[in-house]
Amino acid sequence: MNGLERIITALSLKEPDRVPLYIHAINEKPIILIAREHLEGLPDPEKTFYDMNDNEKMLMLEALFLVHEKHDIDGFTSLEFGHEERIAEDEVRDAWGVVYQLNPFGLPVAKHHPLKEKSDLVGFVPPAPKKENLLLLMAARERFRDTKAIFWMMRGTFVLSWRLTGMENLMLKMFDDPDFVHSIARMTYEYNVQMLDLLVEAGLDVLIIEDDIADKNFPLISPDQFKEFINPYNRKLVELGHEKGLKVIRHSDGNLWPLLDILLETGYDGLNPLEPQAGMDLKKLKEYCGDRLCFLGNIDCIDLLPNGTQEQVEETVKQAISDAGEGGGLIISSSNSLHPGVNPDNCIAMFNATKNYGRYPLNRF
Amino acid sequence: MTLLEELAQTLQEGDLNDTTGLVNRAVTEGIPAETILKSGLIAGMDEIGRKFQDGEIFIPHMLLAARAMNAGIDILKPLLAESGAKPAGHVVLGTVKGDHHDIGKNLVRIMLEGKGFAVNDLGIDVQPKDFVDAITEEVQIVAISALLSTTVPFIEETIQTLESAGVRDQVKVIIGGGVVTQETAEKFGADAYGQDAAIGAVKAMELIEALN
Ligand code: B12
Repeated sequence: MNGLERIITALSLKEPDRVPLYIHAINEKPIILIAREHLEGLPDPEKTFYDMNDNEKMLMLEALFLVHEKHDIDGFTSLEFGHEERIAEDEVRDAWGVVYQLNPFGLPVAKHHPLKEKSDLVGFVPPAPKKENLLLLMAARERFRDTKAIFWMMRGTFVLSWRLTGMENLMLKMFDDPDFVHSIARMTYEYNVQMLDLLVEAGLDVLIIEDDIADKNFPLISPDQFKEFINPYNRKLVELGHEKGLKVIRHSDGNLWPLLDILLETGYDGLNPLEPQAGMDLKKLKEYCGDRLCFLGNIDCIDLLPNGTQEQVEETVKQAISDAGEGGGLIISSSNSLHPGVNPDNCIAMFNATKNYGRYPLNRF
Repeated sequence: MTLLEELAQTLQEGDLNDTTGLVNRAVTEGIPAETILKSGLIAGMDEIGRKFQDGEIFIPHMLLAARAMNAGIDILKPLLAESGAKPAGHVVLGTVKGDHHDIGKNLVRIMLEGKGFAVNDLGIDVQPKDFVDAITEEVQIVAISALLSTTVPFIEETIQTLESAGVRDQVKVIIGGGVVTQETAEKFGADAYGQDAAIGAVKAMELIEALN
């Protein structure tokens, strides 16, 4: 089987030839550290993408592809590029007018929010998604043809809404001005629907609704608020994705147990990234809903991948496979992004262990 | 239900007008501002903290109650100043350098204020030096938040900077956030750790009691 077949089979809750591998998201530093042995001239690992020149950016793309090829990663995540412009030394602004602070410890962080209240909506023109911003998807399609599953990270209703309005403000507006919250959600939904058309045209396989909604203890908003303000919009995206023949998975950090039944009836094919520290235990999940949902993730990127030994990584991968691999429906990936703190050798150990111990039919170890 | 019990209850529901209405009524009825604060607003926030810990309510609800509390405190402030009432303690709070997570830190501020602390919130991405600069004579507690494995070491750096600036002995340090644990606190020589905002505020109170 090739990567695409493996991923689709696992997402269809059947057994592929081996447990598939997937990288959901990866920062500049681990890309550089993992690809370094295959490619010369890569930029300084501390440099952010925004500070790289065009030549370095091209090298980074090559490095990212190489990480996937050299380690037989079966799925490739693409995301929007080019919708942001640099407005200051340490700031970028996206097409919606949200301003982000660049920082060396991860992705840019939203700090200026253009739509604080209803009156800000007057005269506000939401952007239209642009085909040229799908560059990464198209390059990946070109590179991998049909050998790897191409994923797209679509920011969901909660994340887009709070970027536009400010998180705490959005939370308070859920009490003060529910109509405003719905207007914002609808606007983000409409953007995503248009985007979906472009994505399907460009040859997408798996749509990720990327919408962090929980911390390690609880959902960030109440389940009732989730049901009222967020999930209906995401649900329509899931339905639309399915109509267009895509697999649709849900990404959210944190403890999702309090929302799991809602997510299950929303019809997602898979759930990511399943943080062990947030109680997202694979074995329990497999028992609870392994017949309805594929699991992607769970290999601890908070402690294990940064500080563990390669043997520990191997053991953890084996355990995950034995907990949730039976019958398919498992895709090995880290419990969140491969962020700047992870040890590249541990990432490689995770890839190797999956290939070594993930062959179907599974051996009981 | 007494008036102050009603206030504590109303605060939890978070209605701004009802809360300020009740605070004003309590003032008119001649209840001392400090009593209104302690048995009304603070009592209400204690209950909010407990419900948050138990997962009965979520962050939005806590923000709502905090907003009502702040409106109530605004009414009481001049009266408290007149009566010479002092805050429970003075805290400098911030998220460490490099780290932009602030929701947890903001909840800590809410719960500290809910216990009657005066909080100087330095915001996110706070350099060790800026923590030091914020330490005035009255400050007794430095509260530090960090959510990323990569920024947790800056808690230690901040504590060391407090030491080399010669102010470490003047203050107690309490830390928390995401991956921070009791062990982190011990390793870095912090005085306390709070796994959530409500516990953090209780621990801060204990630190103050130990100081006095
Ligand atoms: C929302 C969020 C964001 C938002 C932050 C928005 C904001 N305004 O704060 C955004 C999108 C900006 C963001 C960015 C990033 N994030 Co983030 N984020 C989260 C998320 C989903 C929730 C965090 C949160 O707000 N929780 C709610 C609050 C209430 O919880 P809390 O902060 O833990 O606080 C409570 C207690 O810890 C305690 N507490 C907190 N501080 C203090 C202080 C004291 C003194 C005391 C006593 C108590 C205390 O009280 C609080 C209330 O009870 C978590 C997921 C998770 N599992 O937690 C990831 C998470 C924290 N993020 C993570 C990462 C990796 C990142 C990025 C690096 C992503 C990237 N690849 O670029 C960037 C870093 C940006 C930067 N430089 O800071 C990781 C951290 C992993 C690690 N250990 O290093 C997490 C855990 C996700 C994951 N599983 O990988 N993130």
